[in-house]
Amino acid sequence: MSAAHDTHEAAFVPRPARIIEVTPFTDRERFYRLALDRPLGHRPGQFVMLSVLGIGEAPISISCGPREDNILEMVIREIGSLTQVIAKRSVGDVLGIRGPFGSGFDLADFEGRDVLFVCGGLGLAPLRSLILPVLAERERYGKITIISGCRAPDAELYRDELRAWSDLDGVDVIRLVDNTHHQPWDGKVGLVTKPIADLDIDPSRLTAALCGPPVMYKFVVMALAARGVQPDQIFVDLERRMRCGLGKCGHCQINDAYCCVDGPVFRLSDLERLPEAL
Amino acid sequence: MRRAIVTTEAATLDWIAGLTAAAPVYFPQAGPAGGLRFDPVTDRSALKFDGYRPTILPPGKAFAPVDEVLFDFVHLADGSFRATPVLDTRPRVLAGVRPCDVCAIELMDRVNREGTPDPHYLARREATTIIAYRCAKPCSDRCFCGAVGSLDSDEGADIFLTPLPLGDADAPARVLAEARSDAGEELLAALDGDAVADPQALVAAHRAARPEPFGRQLPGSTDDLPDALTRSEKAELWRDHTAKCLSCGTCNLVCPTCYCFDTHDEVDLADPDVGRRCRDWDSCMLNDFAVVADGHDFRRDIAMRQSHRVRRKFQYLNQKLNTQPFCVGCGRCGAQCTVDIDIFDIASDVLRQFGPPTEEGAAS
Repeated sequence: MSAAHDTHEAAFVPRPARIIEVTPFTDRERFYRLALDRPLGHRPGQFVMLSVLGIGEAPISISCGPREDNILEMVIREIGSLTQVIAKRSVGDVLGIRGPFGSGFDLADFEGRDVLFVCGGLGLAPLRSLILPVLAERERYGKITIISGCRAPDAELYRDELRAWSDLDGVDVIRLVDNTHHQPWDGKVGLVTKPIADLDIDPSRLTAALCGPPVMYKFVVMALAARGVQPDQIFVDLERRMRCGLGKCGHCQINDAYCCVDGPVFRLSDLERLPEAL
Repeated sequence: MRRAIVTTEAATLDWIAGLTAAAPVYFPQAGPAGGLRFDPVTDRSALKFDGYRPTILPPGKAFAPVDEVLFDFVHLADGSFRATPVLDTRPRVLAGVRPCDVCAIELMDRVNREGTPDPHYLARREATTIIAYRCAKPCSDRCFCGAVGSLDSDEGADIFLTPLPLGDADAPARVLAEARSDAGEELLAALDGDAVADPQALVAAHRAARPEPFGRQLPGSTDDLPDALTRSEKAELWRDHTAKCLSCGTCNLVCPTCYCFDTHDEVDLADPDVGRRCRDWDSCMLNDFAVVADGHDFRRDIAMRQSHRVRRKFQYLNQKLNTQPFCVGCGRCGAQCTVDIDIFDIASDVLRQFGPPTEEGAAS
């Protein structure tokens, strides 16, 4: 678009992104596909600042893998003043995007390794940006296990994709709910920590990626540690309040690190000096 | 060599008042309630150097004003929008800026140039000429610039004014004026005085005439604070120093190196398709500062927030950017605190309890 977007003058200015698909996932989460003016050029695990001009801006995880076209996928939970307005937007409407921001995942950290994804609730959305490129080049990785848990059967995201992934060779998908709430359910019942105890794990070969609600991390890390997984082979994708994405507004600070610039993906062993992290 | 002259204080103030012909000049002046504020100069008789007390708001806030607009936007007929950054490049002069505030501005320049530069701060900053005025005595009983290394700030201003010791009680007060940049040189050309070959000797004389120690002193070195703060993480002192805290955020608002912000959008009531995104000062002491959308609060009690504030000043930012402490010892947060919590007292306790052993500590 305009040259202004290539200069630092536009650091806070969003560019237009038109909604080309909206698919309801649950009663409060929807899948969005947006068309940008040019490719986003993101890495797995990065995020964008999403705007409705006149309402406000919030950080939203990118849910698609790296791609060369100008498409961006994300899952948006209707939870705040901005996302309530977005929930009323439909195909053809235009949102504003800044980014991509953050460190993201490096696929090289997972290559040649068994890979375990632990996804809690909405945490599946950002981890899908890593799951997709890993599954696309299946031969570069060892055994792949995806543990995905949510509150109840009707809170499950990407349910068709989770089933499709479980049909792939060498891919094990474990789907859980905290409670069935008397709904039909073809997965397991329990927290995402539960299956970790029974997994066939070779800790010397395993690298794990975690994303979920704040309360989840400590318990998953403990469960992985009990299985001998090393802290330098665990990557966590953290959530914080963010207002800029540029390491300036201060909201996302974790001790002396900025989640928006230094994270949101951190190697667990790097968090030892950041006690505010987990 | 840059221009360096000695002239009288009265001639210097005349000159500052005269600069308003070219651009607005902000100088600490008494407001309607008597307190000093960096207000635009309109009246030469309102200008004086002596009797300075810290302004409630530091002068550096001029680069990130409270009513700041980041960009204007217009919703277009095709559903898209046009957004245009708002950059304020109007020239201005900040005069009578004290060394602690010059130091703070220098630190804020670092923050705003780091990583992705902040175009809005830098546009205002680069259009501003700063005339600093060195302090001959502490400006308040809260001042501790001498303990945090900002008293002798020697960078960040375009012109440094140094009051010279009075040789004779009846002689008019004299000032050394030194240009430190091209912009400073240009302004200083309009001030007559006696050229000085060795301005450093006069600055040294000014320093020698200052009271010693200058202002409050910490019970240890600020170099020891980062490690001491890490060790203090779970200490009771954070509860003690926040027992009265109202979490009001005043300390952040008046701090010359606090810059956390929030944003909000405004639309024109007469035409809601036209609006702007604005930036607001925020405060890490407020209780919703680190709350995320689902309600989880990453710094839920006041002690955690107070510790975070103090560590930003004495540990996080200075270590990240390899600078002196971000607390410049101006004393504003303590002076304005509604319940008399003073960062000097907190830093002192951290040093006493978690700093390296000192003679004072060994004796007690």
